[in-house]
Amino acid sequence: MKKYLGPLNRENPILVQVLGVCSALAVTAQLKPAVVMALSVTVVCALSNLIISLIRNTIPPRVRIIVQLLVVSFFVVMVDMFLQAYVYDVSKMLSVFVGLIITNCIVMGRLEAFALSHKPLPSLMDGLMNGLGYGLVLVVVGSLRELLGRGTLWNIRIMPQALYEAGYLDNGLMILPPMALILIGSLIWIFNRKPKNAR
Amino acid sequence: MKKFSNTYIFFYLGGLVFAVALLLSLAALGLKPKQEVNRQREKAVQILKAAGYDAADKADAVRLLGEVAKARTSPAGREMYDIHCADGSDGIVVYVDGKGLWGPIWGYVVMDESMSEIKGVVFFHKSETPGLGANIVEPEFEHRFDGKKLRDANGHFVPLRVFKGGGHADDPHGVDAVSGATITSRGVENMLSQSLKEVVQ
Repeated sequence: MKKYLGPLNRENPILVQVLGVCSALAVTAQLKPAVVMALSVTVVCALSNLIISLIRNTIPPRVRIIVQLLVVSFFVVMVDMFLQAYVYDVSKMLSVFVGLIITNCIVMGRLEAFALSHKPLPSLMDGLMNGLGYGLVLVVVGSLRELLGRGTLWNIRIMPQALYEAGYLDNGLMILPPMALILIGSLIWIFNRKPKNAR
Repeated sequence: MKKFSNTYIFFYLGGLVFAVALLLSLAALGLKPKQEVNRQREKAVQILKAAGYDAADKADAVRLLGEVAKARTSPAGREMYDIHCADGSDGIVVYVDGKGLWGPIWGYVVMDESMSEIKGVVFFHKSETPGLGANIVEPEFEHRFDGKKLRDANGHFVPLRVFKGGGHADDPHGVDAVSGATITSRGVENMLSQSLKEVVQ
């Protein structure tokens, strides 16, 4: 089990491998879309890892990228259609970014680096954990930005009214795109600092 | 490593594409009715909400809308409804559409019978940025339009202006924009002025 936990920590796809940054910047202005995006990527990443791993011995290496793309697109379109049918509100909120999961480097990166050369079950776990590692960062950044930018979490007011009466203002910069870059940049910095006892 | 012939690759990809296309088409066909119901229901709920109804019972919204509103089209071909509002007054609903930053935006404006004051609005968007432009669909933004005037003292049509810092109590034609979404806000402004111009004379 322990060997799969890397993506949540020292091998985090966003913070250490610096993959999937585009969507992480785009959907983290609020918590709710960040969570749904995290779940969607996790589902797509885990299932396409599983499928690619199942058919890995039949894939001609010369066209493997095309095959991967096909499988990823299949799951992304499926997820999009299911969101529209069953959680219509959220699918409206995420709009184009669900479709853009197809180009998320984490998904394809895991297919190339792991699923093509490992058995189905480990591949499923690997995809799951990488999706969750991505989701973790989205949730952290999404919470920070929504809390400091709007004073709410999941659209529920957290900052007490008294604070506003005392002169506190929501930081409008938090919900603008540059702040996502600064926050994720800071997280990457914190995560990649050298431990004190390192050589 | 195994060697794959061109024929194998050709048929392998062909088969895979066919399988994926088949599955997706089946899923699309299977889910379409449900998506369509969602859209109709969403639309009915939103129009009712703008007219002051508390449409908490979503499943019933389409039927309720049919009871209180009568559809018609404006001379310019715009979708309109004569609606009986929740507060007992009669009003007019007009469909408005325009462009946001990334794609189409549209909505419904509920006005009083003389088309001089807005009672409520609802907006939709296809692909505005989540958390920024997409916030035009938030009730908090939509309520900024309540009570805004569409005519000046002489009864002439005055387009609403949506801008940062707008919406002062003494400005009946100005609305505060969505912060971080200048272009989407401008899109809302253009959508309202152009669509309502056709209807409000």
